[in-house]
Amino acid sequence: MLIQFLINGIILGAIYSSLALGFSLVYNTTKIFHIAYAVLYMIAGYFLYTFFNQLGLSFIIATFLSILSTVFISIIIELVVYRTLIKKNASLNVLLISSLGVMIIIINSIALFYGNETKIIHNDIAKSIRFNDIIITYPQLHQVFFSSFFLILFFILNKYARLGIKIRALSNDAELAKVQGLDIPKMRIKLFALSGFFAALSGVLVAQDIGIDPYIGLPMLLNAVVAVIIGGLGRFSATVLGGFILGILQALVIWEFSANWQEAITFGVLILFLIFRPQGILGNKTREV
Amino acid sequence: MEYIIHILIIINIYIVLTVSANLLVGLANLLSLGQAAFYGIGAYLTALALMQFGLPLIPALLFSMLITGLIAFLLGYISIKFEGDYFVLATLGFQIIIYSILYNWITVTKGPYGIPGIPAPKLLNSFKIDSIYLFLILSSILMGITVSIFYKLIHSPFGRVLKAMKDDKIALISLGRNVTRLKIITFVLAASFAALSGFLYATYISYIDPTSFNLDESIFIVSAVLIGGTGNLKGPILGAVFVVILPEILRFVGLPDSIAANLRMIIYGLSLVLLMLYRPQGIAGTNKI
Repeated sequence: MLIQFLINGIILGAIYSSLALGFSLVYNTTKIFHIAYAVLYMIAGYFLYTFFNQLGLSFIIATFLSILSTVFISIIIELVVYRTLIKKNASLNVLLISSLGVMIIIINSIALFYGNETKIIHNDIAKSIRFNDIIITYPQLHQVFFSSFFLILFFILNKYARLGIKIRALSNDAELAKVQGLDIPKMRIKLFALSGFFAALSGVLVAQDIGIDPYIGLPMLLNAVVAVIIGGLGRFSATVLGGFILGILQALVIWEFSANWQEAITFGVLILFLIFRPQGILGNKTREV
Repeated sequence: MEYIIHILIIINIYIVLTVSANLLVGLANLLSLGQAAFYGIGAYLTALALMQFGLPLIPALLFSMLITGLIAFLLGYISIKFEGDYFVLATLGFQIIIYSILYNWITVTKGPYGIPGIPAPKLLNSFKIDSIYLFLILSSILMGITVSIFYKLIHSPFGRVLKAMKDDKIALISLGRNVTRLKIITFVLAASFAALSGFLYATYISYIDPTSFNLDESIFIVSAVLIGGTGNLKGPILGAVFVVILPEILRFVGLPDSIAANLRMIIYGLSLVLLMLYRPQGIAGTNKI
């Protein structure tokens, strides 16, 4: 049984990792606490539901279109909300609250349009593979495989492509990057696109497994944020590590206690980290300015 | 007539909540997402004081406010060490942990079943506040006392120092002010008065369950303050009136409840985004956040 829980934890961790990576892409570079990111995760599932279940497109095309549409919405949020606010020299708290406002608007628009109840993408029982008493379903296999695939792709990109170097430059020192002639507005569009991609990826992967309702985004985002903090701010590899650690930890909590206490323990761990190791597991100690 | 009185009582409860949250959000620039937790602790302590200890009104109220203040002191001592997003995260973490305790610690809080039959508070052992009219008087008196305390506070040296802390913390430290102590006092005061709201809510509705005190409620309280306006008293009072009256207006327009609930959240979200864009101090506020 323990091994089954550990495997579930790793699968959950893969989802947290890619979700957390998308969040930290924006957070590390722009310092915006992008709460509206939660609805990107949720809305990707609704796009999938619309394209696949309502319009009857093939699953692959529906998934592709869902991710594309979500990326588009991510860019719209940057252009319409954040860019306008930054032009007005808004403080980070103002950005956070506008982001919260955007989240509330989108969640409730979706609820108005699709209803509050859970929508299921696949009605039939998922096929699974078994080794002795360990069961892994196909949707779970997809979750691990595609999350890991795109995470690895991102790390290769981050290390070797020019975009990766620019991202690192921007997260190190935005002013300096600007002075060096980096086109920040253009760069930010790419960042929000990439971030939207990871939200959409985890969104569709989870939606096809367990379905969607309008309120799934925020709890998942909060888990992703905890993963970012315990992994360590500023490094993408740390974020991914945090995601897997959190996934395994939550699975162990369910194994040892019950699912009821999962949230309390997750946020207990967050607070312990904030107090004793605010730089996270892999983070470098930064001095207060 | 009873309908209007009911609305007025709810407005009184929310004014206490927003006026106290304004001290944190509007004056001290501490964006706390944990106010609903203290509101909830206050309500549960009230139930304890009235049902288990059989205390009369004033001792029950003081008991609830003092113990909540004590808990807030412990949590505030940890939270106020953090700045910016980390403070938001720490208070959010405590909010989720406290909600989780109220929800899952069934032997003490009865968990999701809630606590029914909270008795009407007694004044001087014989005079029971058991009619809606008496309750309007009680809630108005307590609201009035709260508002005048906060009016005094904002216009006292303490309030001016708080404003100064928001403007230039380092200058304040160099003038020999203990910023940490200042923040803790603010945090404890805001929590104790949120507990006063909890007292009014528990005794008026006479039934409490954890879902009234979740993260959404915290976000709701902060939104009400930010919509109404931050920094003075007009703002939060206006915010409380707005958030309580808007659903009633939507009901009068004749929208079905299922649509009205989402539509009103969309209106709150939209107000938040538009205000952050064009008027970051809120409708009637003075301090930009």
